[in-house]
Amino acid sequence: MAEVAFAAAVQDLIDALGRLPGVGPKSAQRIAFHLLKADAEESSRLAAAILAAKERVGFCEVCFNLSEEARCEICSDDRRDGHVVCVVEEPRDVVAIERTREFRGRYHVLQGAIDHLQGVGPEQLRIRELLARVTAEQVTEVIICTNPNLEGEATALFLTKMLDVPGLVVSRIANGLPVGGDLEYADELTLGRALEGRRVVAGPAPAE
Amino acid sequence: MYVQRLWLRHVRSHTEVELELSPGVNLFEGPNGVGKTNLVESIAFIGSLRSFRGAPTEALVQAGAAAATIRAEVVEDGRVHLFESELPARGRVRVQVNRNRLQRRRDLLEVVQTTVFGPDDLELVKGGPGLRRALLDDAVVQVRPADELVVGDWERALRQRNSFLKQAGPAAARRGLDEAGAATLEVWDAKAVELGGAIHELRRRMVERLSPFVADAYDRVAGRPSEVRLRLVPGWSGGDLASALVSARPDDLRRGVSTVGPHRDELLVELDGLAARTHSSQGEQRCLALALRLGVHQFVTEARDAPPILILDDVFSELDGDRSRALVGALPAGQTFVTSAVGAPDGVRPDAVFRLDHDGGVVRAE
Repeated sequence: MAEVAFAAAVQDLIDALGRLPGVGPKSAQRIAFHLLKADAEESSRLAAAILAAKERVGFCEVCFNLSEEARCEICSDDRRDGHVVCVVEEPRDVVAIERTREFRGRYHVLQGAIDHLQGVGPEQLRIRELLARVTAEQVTEVIICTNPNLEGEATALFLTKMLDVPGLVVSRIANGLPVGGDLEYADELTLGRALEGRRVVAGPAPAE
Repeated sequence: MYVQRLWLRHVRSHTEVELELSPGVNLFEGPNGVGKTNLVESIAFIGSLRSFRGAPTEALVQAGAAAATIRAEVVEDGRVHLFESELPARGRVRVQVNRNRLQRRRDLLEVVQTTVFGPDDLELVKGGPGLRRALLDDAVVQVRPADELVVGDWERALRQRNSFLKQAGPAAARRGLDEAGAATLEVWDAKAVELGGAIHELRRRMVERLSPFVADAYDRVAGRPSEVRLRLVPGWSGGDLASALVSARPDDLRRGVSTVGPHRDELLVELDGLAARTHSSQGEQRCLALALRLGVHQFVTEARDAPPILILDDVFSELDGDRSRALVGALPAGQTFVTSAVGAPDGVRPDAVFRLDHDGGVVRAE
């Protein structure tokens, strides 16, 4: 059964959109048709926004977060504690942790996690730069906040091995239960990890 | 649990099918090539989200169609669940249960499970060790769906380790690993010990618990008392997995692949003290294959307190009357699907009979 083909320009647009993360073939089609139906101005605005962001935004030379300046807002903020560095995989993780307003230290964005299946080894990540920062900036604690999945845990383990520096505290973000949720709805693995990482609230510390 | 209603659209040879099924024994009969196996394949898909014939899901889509649809009403513990899936010719399978998108396959296993006996099951005994590991892993997940995470993470960790070895191995085998390379390999070794150790332990315990069920099933199907033993031989030698990985390191680097580990585990099946794969007759091997499936089915039935939906696809054509009757007699009462080209097999008393013809028709015989 022969398929009715789109004009070449339309198909090019659909293909380009379909290469974006999280956009499947159906969504790519929907977005393409929307753009073609809407005013030309809407397309120009979108194209301009993409170009402007691409032109103005780069990576911070210190922490590799997204930044419009050579040094990002957080790295240039003197009120932040430069002795504590939180290591994350992606810029979006910085945004997530910033929303908590709990953390007053600085960040280091690895720009991924070890994933050999995607061709990402430690040398493709900003790990060398992290090690340099630890000595240069007299960092006292590194908090590893990579994702709690296989690749994130492997990356955390790798960092732990590389950050074997005298006097440096290396910590890993805890596994726990979502606040405001019910215990019975937590999945077994999360619940199991939360039990493993329990905290003593009274009485003597349990024997090691 | 049972499937009370099944709708198919554009599934292999079936353009449009709607069936009301019996909670007891359902027989699909008709000449070869009318799509009997396609029907039970769809039913098994509801419980596993994959084809028991080992085909990619796209293969279930009728030629020329954009997508196949499999819908079913599944009754579990008195509640009716609506299962809906769309299998596109290209792209990801979408599944909804009770109109909510299914996030994890294991959530499905809480509602519906299937056991499939197929004509290729003889390979369980005669074929390579991968099939026997899959039998164990599937049983582990059927009894405790949460363990699917361990199975999945282990498989992924192994692929990561192999991918690293392939990329870095050959050069490192000549010049040695640099500091980062050594640390990376240590990381994957640690993950292999953690996850691979866990999966091996799950398999070991499963073999222990499964053995009496398989031995019992064999005696029934073969109709004589025999000594059936199951033994899990680790995919590494010389003590614990961690030191085995260290010893294998030069080999792993040179060959660019993990040479030892639970992915080399072997489930040995022995009949009267001899390895069944190499020493048993064809008839004995066939009985052992049935006994392995039946043993898992009985074990899961007991562990979950409910029999999985049972699918017997073209199993009886290879069995004589006595063995057919013995197999049927040994099956726990639950919903059962039987395919046959020539009427009800010996010992099978169907509650509903469906006749298939070459025009794609499926008619329930009264």
